[in-house]
Amino acid sequence: MDTWKEFEANELTHSAAHHLLAIHDVGLEYGGWARVSDIARALNITRGSVSINLRALKKRGWVETDAHRLVKLTASGLQIVRTVMAKRVVLETFFTDVLGVPRSQAAIDSCKIEHLISHSTGERLALFLRFLASGDAANAARASRFRRFHAKCPKSGTCEVCKGQCLVDEMKRAI
Amino acid sequence: MARHPVPADLIDDLNRLMAEEAEACLRYFQMRFRVRGPGAAAAGRFFEEAIKETLEHADALARQIHALGHIPALRINLTLDGASMRSGEALAEALDVEQQALDAYQEFLPRVAGDPTLEKFIREQIATETEHVEEIKHVVRTAHSLKLVTPRTAGSPKTRRP
Repeated sequence: MDTWKEFEANELTHSAAHHLLAIHDVGLEYGGWARVSDIARALNITRGSVSINLRALKKRGWVETDAHRLVKLTASGLQIVRTVMAKRVVLETFFTDVLGVPRSQAAIDSCKIEHLISHSTGERLALFLRFLASGDAANAARASRFRRFHAKCPKSGTCEVCKGQCLVDEMKRAI
Repeated sequence: MARHPVPADLIDDLNRLMAEEAEACLRYFQMRFRVRGPGAAAAGRFFEEAIKETLEHADALARQIHALGHIPALRINLTLDGASMRSGEALAEALDVEQQALDAYQEFLPRVAGDPTLEKFIREQIATETEHVEEIKHVVRTAHSLKLVTPRTAGSPKTRRP
């Protein structure tokens, strides 16, 4: 039950993921090079914060800087960005196309967890989406049926999924 | 003489500069408790001086914004923690922060061309920040003791920063 510790010890923190993504996005038009001021604007934080956070990214070998203090992703930094972006797309697609979550909420939720799920889970999720879209009419129909599905929970608060505690009710009661 | 109205995006940039200074102040406030090992006491004094000076700079920017008819808007998003660190490492972080402040003022300067009051103010800030950055670079380069960096006496013409 130490998963929460793994969450905190995650090598790629939420902040680091966002910095790498911002460097990638800002640098797209400039051969990969990004100015600290532009990164700060993209992340809505100060330049001082960006410069301090960049130190950690440099130590990990994910970014490099030049004499003009421009910042660029290294090959490994770029690979991290690609992986995070892939997970984001997979998650967003799963939330919207399979679960029927509104796109705006799906974007927020996928952003929160894109860098936290393991590569293997991301890969399985991508395969699952491919499975649904594989051309098998039964799979597509199943997904479509699910989006229209609204469970009526038994008053006892039990079912095959919840097994003693109604999980749907818990979500509805969430503060 | 009444000053010309200033564009909103220029006020935004002044607020950003103020946020840089205020955040640096808070960063130094916390950083002084992280420094361990040789030079820790001197580093503590060094950062205490830096706290005062960054706050003075933030205040000066706030007054400029207010003089232009706006309420200063301070937007910072900051959590400061982290393990203990050596004085050299702390100085290197301070150098990064100061260099960014200097870059920010330099990039801002062309935007205030035509406003003599603001231009004079920004030029003074650039001069001060340049001095600070050079001082820290010198300390980092030569690995001198932090004891060499002493606060200026009251009434000196310029404030000092690390």
